[in-house]
Amino acid sequence: VKRGRGIWRSVWEIFPLSSSNFAFSSLSPSDSDSAPVPQRRACHAAGRSLSGELLLSGGGAPQQARGGGPVSPCVSVCVRDSVCFRVFDHVNAIPFRSSKELLLQPVIISRNDKEKVLIEGSINSVRVSIAVKQADEIEKILCHKFMRFMMMRAENFFILRRKPVEGYDISFLITNFHTEQMYKHKLVDFVIHFMEEIDKEISEMKLSVNARARIVAEEFLKNF
Amino acid sequence: MAKNTLSSRFRKLDIDEFDENKFVDDHDEAVDNQGPDGAEIDNLIRQGDMMTAFHIALRNPPVNTKNPAIKERALAIVLRVLTSFKSSDIEPAVKSLDRSGVDLLMKYIYRGFEKPSDNSSAILLQWHEKAFAVGGLGSIVRVLTARKTV
Repeated sequence: VKRGRGIWRSVWEIFPLSSSNFAFSSLSPSDSDSAPVPQRRACHAAGRSLSGELLLSGGGAPQQARGGGPVSPCVSVCVRDSVCFRVFDHVNAIPFRSSKELLLQPVIISRNDKEKVLIEGSINSVRVSIAVKQADEIEKILCHKFMRFMMMRAENFFILRRKPVEGYDISFLITNFHTEQMYKHKLVDFVIHFMEEIDKEISEMKLSVNARARIVAEEFLKNF
Repeated sequence: MAKNTLSSRFRKLDIDEFDENKFVDDHDEAVDNQGPDGAEIDNLIRQGDMMTAFHIALRNPPVNTKNPAIKERALAIVLRVLTSFKSSDIEPAVKSLDRSGVDLLMKYIYRGFEKPSDNSSAILLQWHEKAFAVGGLGSIVRVLTARKTV
């Protein structure tokens, strides 16, 4: 049963192999994503600790491309733009909203009224909030639990916020400290990948829940 | 409370207001654009003349007013024009704009994303793609950093 493995694997890839790599590449339109495609590994993820999963090396079925529509380039461009910041001030500008001149315009990109992405930038950080599509009750519950699972482990996740922004399901806060330690283009790729994967993950979980329920019901009713 | 006057009135004072280095937005009261004319645009849409309607809609953007009603009205008009475009017509329309026109278009596109309705997001995504092809990353950065929003 695959449970969000793809996402953990790509988190591992964000960290540079050598610590002497400070990626402050300036924006260029020729910045192509040649990031290696994170690979999925089928395993029982439930109950594994996060650090255990991060250390597993990859192997297994290659990633399937998702026809996510043109939202991804739109968001990736936006996130890439706003991730271009340096150390200026140690106080995170966004949650406090103290000085007007330090904040950029918040920008929303929506695919329909249920799915949207809010990007708020400042001079030293950016907050990306995602509202995930939840079509029915079971998807709502699965999404809620999945997000809670990740947000409870936000310390190990680094860029995740413990609480989502009002109206959204999950929020990332990427600060200048993070961009010093991690590759910027990988951070952007990770957020995009996350957005694309989350819908797939939730549908898969829903299918497996239904399949298990069916099997259990069958077994139980065999007695009658 | 203050020792000499025995009053606590100073506690209600916001001293950040008096900070010399405090950043104040430039108030441009001079030019007050009222936004495009709704009736004119309606006529043009009914006649099917999308390009003219498009250009008129992007004239007189209400960037300097603080009045949200004017901005809402202008936004509604522009969105109506954008959503009534056919997909094949989007590209020539974008190509006909100059640099600041493309930036303005981008601003309206992002504002349009904030209130998704029916199929508006799908059309807006197409507009975004074409406008990005012309304007590049710069146009998006200019939207993010603009102090005068549309």
